[in-house]
Amino acid sequence: MKGTRSMVFWLLALILVLMLPVQGHAGPPGFDKKEIRIAQWGPQTGPAAPWGSVARGSDLIFRIVNEEGGIHGRTIKYFIRDDQYNPAQTKAVVKELVERRGIFAFVGGVGAPCGMAVKDYLAENKVVWVGPSTAINEYVFPVNPYLFAIYPLYEDEASILTKYAVEKLKAQKIGFFYQNDSYGKSGLEGCKQRLNTYNMSLVEEVSVEPSEKDLSSQMLRLKNSGAEVVFLWVNPTSATIALKTSATIGFKPQWISSDTLSDFPLMNTITGGLWEGVITGGFCLPPDSDHSTIVKYREAAKKYAPEERFGTFYLAGMLFAEPLIDALQRVGPNLSTDAFLDALNSTKDFQGIGPKITWSPDVHQGTDSIQILQCGPGGSSILLQDWVSNDLATWKPK
Amino acid sequence: MDMKRDYYEDIEIFSSGTVLFWSIALFAVLFTLPLYMPSYNIYLFNIILVHVILAVGLNILVGYTGQISLGHAGFFAIGAYGTSLLMMHLGIPFFAAIIAAGLIAALSGFIIGLPALRLEGPYLAIATLGFGLTIMHIIGRWEIFGGRMGIQAPPLDIGIPQWGWSVPLDSDVKMYYLILVIAIVMVIGARNMMKTRIGRAFVAIRDDDIAAEVMGVNLLTFKTLSFAVSAFYAGVAGGLFGFVLGFFDPFTFNLILSIIFLVMIVVGGLGSVLGAVMGATLITYLQYDLLKNVDEMPYLGDALVWISRKYFTVIGLENFNSIMLGIIMLGIVIFEPLGMFGIWIRIKKYWKTWPF
Repeated sequence: MKGTRSMVFWLLALILVLMLPVQGHAGPPGFDKKEIRIAQWGPQTGPAAPWGSVARGSDLIFRIVNEEGGIHGRTIKYFIRDDQYNPAQTKAVVKELVERRGIFAFVGGVGAPCGMAVKDYLAENKVVWVGPSTAINEYVFPVNPYLFAIYPLYEDEASILTKYAVEKLKAQKIGFFYQNDSYGKSGLEGCKQRLNTYNMSLVEEVSVEPSEKDLSSQMLRLKNSGAEVVFLWVNPTSATIALKTSATIGFKPQWISSDTLSDFPLMNTITGGLWEGVITGGFCLPPDSDHSTIVKYREAAKKYAPEERFGTFYLAGMLFAEPLIDALQRVGPNLSTDAFLDALNSTKDFQGIGPKITWSPDVHQGTDSIQILQCGPGGSSILLQDWVSNDLATWKPK
Repeated sequence: MDMKRDYYEDIEIFSSGTVLFWSIALFAVLFTLPLYMPSYNIYLFNIILVHVILAVGLNILVGYTGQISLGHAGFFAIGAYGTSLLMMHLGIPFFAAIIAAGLIAALSGFIIGLPALRLEGPYLAIATLGFGLTIMHIIGRWEIFGGRMGIQAPPLDIGIPQWGWSVPLDSDVKMYYLILVIAIVMVIGARNMMKTRIGRAFVAIRDDDIAAEVMGVNLLTFKTLSFAVSAFYAGVAGGLFGFVLGFFDPFTFNLILSIIFLVMIVVGGLGSVLGAVMGATLITYLQYDLLKNVDEMPYLGDALVWISRKYFTVIGLENFNSIMLGIIMLGIVIFEPLGMFGIWIRIKKYWKTWPF
């Protein structure tokens, strides 16, 4: 009897507790008089760890800014969190940073699923996110007021590269080899859109699953189609297998690939030198460029991160952070999220080590421009064409 | 110390008043947690509770029935996709959808259980491994599952919005209560099941399946049942996980996840519900929270980062994260074969006889 009564008591207590109003905690503001807190997630360990250099690249540029005296008297406090390319962990680290540390803005951020898992959360908490390191239509269409994208869309890139193949390389027969997901299909779409304007069509289109290890049937199909130019819209592993397989069957077209494979020293090493001659898009000046900004970054890297490889993805981390710093500088000393948004929305033709970036309240995709590069001997890069935009970009306001 | 004097005492869920008292105290703490815990930690607790449900289910299969599964991420995925897609495309209310998804997972568990009648040890491991990978690839190739891009979970509403009765759970805290209640029900359910004829049949199969059959345990029924029950737990956990995450893609449910699940129950202690709960909590905490902020500690943080950059790779502290996780797992497996449950038993014994 007594047992039952104490049970009832506890149950009542529980119900009471359950009925207490539960209020959400708002995070602390992302800046104070001394510092602006900026953060990035990125895979530092796990299967996607090679892309972790993006987050460390942003670190370098913030160090440079801080050494030069910060931004209107405030230094940048930068947080990197390892999410192992696991969206569940991305959400955990982002929540912890926003609600416990108070983050003013996120920059970069590798991984489509990782970004998609936190996109709405960041917008709800009015945390600005500049320069995701992936091009995804869902990021920018419809416009998310807190998300500002830089990475050129794969449609635009493929369209520009197709134009180059037809007009400069005089290619008549073009094949397309793509990964069976949104990345590969976007590239295919852009290529077809451009070919339509020439009344041409692909002689062959072949898809691949990212985990396939035997690509001989796909390469044979491309060889039998007689393609002179083959587009590669795949991941580094598939690209390597594709090149090695076609070398053994004596198929040597002009390969053209997306900027995700523009890390020439890396690609040249893993393909055993077969990458030489491959043409890719470039979203960022190559690491061996003698552009004054790249030289400055290279010197800073020697000082602050001598053990780091000065590669394309490391530079990408800087590229994504540049317009953020530019906007912060234009805001002036009276910092607020709204003022920062205004500054970002009025970014016009800003250029650092990447393409010209323009944002307006209606369009948050910052650019449709790429460079066209070719892999030279030993993984060096040859500039074939300077920044060029896509005249067919469907999303651009007319 | 756990002397049982008759059968009915043995099958009680709460073996003594003390256990009942502390269980209720624990529930009270869990239910009031959001009051004194910042909300970003609630997200972590949600993940932990989801993993607890899954680990308890996996333990029924591995710890109690002595089978192995390297494909539980597959059942987890079926639950996540099943629940979200049933709600989005067929407009089924949440509870019906999650139970249906759990049952779909259970059905696939039953089918996987059939080869288990003939396969043992490493062969069964390979078969289940294949299942887990297959599920990941099927989901990745099929447009209705969002392909490799993944899908957005629908807004979580535990009412029946079609009938105008809407109970939206739009914050982590509200979701926490839902997951907590389901987790408690399922953990108690597992504990209860292990004290029934079914649970004893599982244990008999684990200890010696031939002897079990001689005694009248139908291997076909109980081995497949164990797989189905375990998959049902994984399916329900997956259904909840989808909402905790909000967005998921096939790669989220990869092989590593299946292995982590196995690690949870081995570290926690095989063949014990409490062990599975402890293991899931510890491993999730280590994976999601360990050392994430150590670099801001005075001296130690800087020293660790320096050592890591000097002797490991340029990554810094994250190296230690993985190393620590590995050392803790190795330590438990080597020095405490019963897992955390073994440590728990020793602590209990010590205090029982304290101060002598």
